[in-house]
Amino acid sequence: MRIIKMILLVLLIIVVGIQFIRPVRNESEQVLLTDITMTFNMPDSVLDALKISCYNCHSNNTIYPFYANFQPVAWMLNNHVKNGKDKLNFSDFGAYSRRRQLSKLKSMVSQIQDDKMPLPSYTLFHKDAALTEKNKLSIINWANKTTDSLSSNQ
Amino acid sequence: MNKKLILISFAILIAFTACNNKTTNETAGNSAENSSVMYACPMHPEVMGNKGDKCSKCGMELSVLVDMNATTTQATEETKATIAVKEIVSNYLKLKNALTNDNTDDAATAGKALEAAFKSFDKTALTAEQKKTYEDIESDAREHAEHIGANAGKIAHQREHFDLLSKDMYDLVKALGAGQILYKDFCPMYNDNKGAIWLSETKEIKNPYFGKSMQTCGSVKEELK
Repeated sequence: MRIIKMILLVLLIIVVGIQFIRPVRNESEQVLLTDITMTFNMPDSVLDALKISCYNCHSNNTIYPFYANFQPVAWMLNNHVKNGKDKLNFSDFGAYSRRRQLSKLKSMVSQIQDDKMPLPSYTLFHKDAALTEKNKLSIINWANKTTDSLSSNQ
Repeated sequence: MNKKLILISFAILIAFTACNNKTTNETAGNSAENSSVMYACPMHPEVMGNKGDKCSKCGMELSVLVDMNATTTQATEETKATIAVKEIVSNYLKLKNALTNDNTDDAATAGKALEAAFKSFDKTALTAEQKKTYEDIESDAREHAEHIGANAGKIAHQREHFDLLSKDMYDLVKALGAGQILYKDFCPMYNDNKGAIWLSETKEIKNPYFGKSMQTCGSVKEELK
């Protein structure tokens, strides 16, 4: 009995302890000059869809849910965001090389077409992040149009 | 007394410079002789020596004249940049061949090797302009190689990235050379009939986008030297 109590106590201390180790949040209200909205024109419908469904992991400004105040949830989220921004960061899109922008636009289209993004595990907790067929179509059309204009400019 | 000293030191100086000249002349003459006229064994071309020598491997007389000048100029013509590109090209071709054989695991291995080749590429041999082109291409191509490496088992996804990677590779070879003859091939059916290119070391068409199901689909569009 005493041993169980000891173990529980240690666990409690650990759980409380880790709450103090907080990763730096990915939050920045500032819209950089390299933001995709500064470099490319896009209809509001596309921008809204991107903001709701993609920006939490693919930009410099994540809107955190309340449970992100607890560990180890925040650590996991932090990893996700870091990984997501590594692959594609809309806040930095304008700084990519032309070649990389074209690649990313093409990957966006194929990821959305194949329903790989937004991640199913993400939309499970964020119902509003799931893209409707209309959203998908507008993003894909926009991406294809942008690709065409970028390639003809070269 | 002082005059004598100066005289002696002058004499020594002249003697030394004369000696030096002589030795350099001699070595230059020797190397010129060595490099222009060499004979190789008819059976072991790597064994070389003077005319009349015997081959160290089989004892035959070294009788095949080797034109050393020709081989050395060829080596210098091949720029440092080309040598560095070779590693990238060879891994790209391995990747291409894995995809023509529908082998997703080999493709992943080659993708990883290609990523490493991009990482370790020696940029010091490039001109400023070449460096800029290379960095632009590399920022994109390396990512494709990385994705192909990380997606063993998903050959369709690997091929999507291979399409974009091939465009990068074409530009890279155009800018820096490949050190070998390559062919730019075109498959009109991939990408919902938008088409896609790839580079190949053989003239014969072996399609990496459809693999064995449509191996000969495509045509050679350009020969890259």
